[in-house]
Amino acid sequence: MNQQLVNLVMKATGETLTMVSLSTLFSLVLGLPIGVLLHVTSNPEQGGIIPNTLVNSVLGRIVNVLRSFPFIILMILLIPLSRKIVGTSIGTKATIVPLSIAAAPFVARIIESALKEVDPGVIQAAKAMGSTNWQIIYKVMIPEAMPALVSGITLTIINLIGYSAMAGAIGGGGLGDLAIRYGYQRFRPEYMLCCVIIILLLVEVIQVVGNRIAGRMLARR
Amino acid sequence: MQITLKNLKRYYGTLHAVDDVSLTIPSNTIYGIIGKSGAGKSSLVRLASMLERPDSGEIYYDDRRIDTLTGKDVIQERRKIGMIFQNFNLFSSRNAEQNIAYPMEICGMDREHIRKRCEELLKVVGLDGRGKAPISTLSGGQKQRVAIARALACEPEILFCDEATSALDPQTTRAILALIKDIQKKMGLTVVMITHQMEVVRDSCSRVAVLEAGCVAEEGDVADIFASPKSEVTKDFLSNVKFSNQDIIRWSKDGGKYRLGFRGGKTDDVVISRVTMDTGAMFNIRAAGVQEIKGEQVGVMIVDIDREHADVAIRALRESGVSVEETI
Repeated sequence: MNQQLVNLVMKATGETLTMVSLSTLFSLVLGLPIGVLLHVTSNPEQGGIIPNTLVNSVLGRIVNVLRSFPFIILMILLIPLSRKIVGTSIGTKATIVPLSIAAAPFVARIIESALKEVDPGVIQAAKAMGSTNWQIIYKVMIPEAMPALVSGITLTIINLIGYSAMAGAIGGGGLGDLAIRYGYQRFRPEYMLCCVIIILLLVEVIQVVGNRIAGRMLARR
Repeated sequence: MQITLKNLKRYYGTLHAVDDVSLTIPSNTIYGIIGKSGAGKSSLVRLASMLERPDSGEIYYDDRRIDTLTGKDVIQERRKIGMIFQNFNLFSSRNAEQNIAYPMEICGMDREHIRKRCEELLKVVGLDGRGKAPISTLSGGQKQRVAIARALACEPEILFCDEATSALDPQTTRAILALIKDIQKKMGLTVVMITHQMEVVRDSCSRVAVLEAGCVAEEGDVADIFASPKSEVTKDFLSNVKFSNQDIIRWSKDGGKYRLGFRGGKTDDVVISRVTMDTGAMFNIRAAGVQEIKGEQVGVMIVDIDREHADVAIRALRESGVSVEETI
């Protein structure tokens, strides 16, 4: 009985970690280019180096629409896509698809706002030295914004832990799933409690580690 | 490299930031561009350094027109100029050495060369051994030194200084100006010095253009302009320069209607006495002294001239090559 709890909770924690880490990775892959594009195409007063109103407003609109979708509905809408990409619509693997897509626009906005904080004078200096736009982005903007980016990614991971727990509602696996199936549906409060405590611990650890990394980066400057 | 600006215009809406400016900035000199805030000097330097395009007009580096360049050509051309700023604009994500390395990295130079050149440049700007220092640990003067080293990394022929000393205290300003002068001589650079401080022009430039409301109010040799300023803005700038530091002793607080400027050989001549004898004008000397302007000594005398003979005397003085202007 106790052994079963430990086993189930261990397994669920593993699933949550897999979901969160992979969907963080994929949402970064999707969100980073969008965030950079959102920033560089904004108007020059806001730090845009390749201003393009059309691209900026279209992209901004798409990001806003995706962000305003309730996650639970997005998950259901994306079932066909999950099936296409990973071959199934339930379980840990399938959940990574909606998680990544739900977090990508959030990541894009976080990256955009981190890049906006970069001192425009520094960008001007880089430009005056003959940097190409690409060099400005990857050699100046991103390194200069790194502490803010790390804080943003920390926030993304924590958000994804929350979302991944919600994914349990449609059979997504992980701690949320365990809490719902055992804790709620089978009236086993100890399962619920364990899951909640582990989620709290995960969030706390990630927040502390994220703050440490960002802090250390700032201290070295 | 000589920089030629022809009829440059840059408007922001109804604001005429640069309004028909034509200047020739000679090669191998330090050229000052002075103006109050909003006079258009920063806009002008942004045009001259290809950071912005003029609405109309032409810009030449030597005989090459550069304001019409596009794409890769602009980037290539920008790599041949250096620029330093009021706020230093160093990369906080890089240490001193890595900042200096940046312009060389983007040109694709090999690592070993970059490393050697960084060491060399740190020595040039007097920051030997501070290469690994994070930017935040450096003082303002040291930051500007790193910025200068970074600007010189790719051996430019032109160095633009946009209010480079405005954020520094007077002592540091002098040290940075001395460094710029030294580098200018050694490398044969054309330095364009944007500033709102007349002291900076006096201590470092050989020629100066005074900007007002987007136009050139006055342009010429620094010593000439200090000796006989013509426009109101220039006079205004000069009145803010502290003459007391420059060995002008004032005997009396009131009076002193005219300011005489003696340049070069004129200090060896007995001008005043001769004018007195020729015209009968009486001079009352209120203050006098010598100012050093860009290595040249300019004698300055604040005098009153008796009313009856004033006009004749002024004419006679001007004929003898002494500049005269009314101070009140």
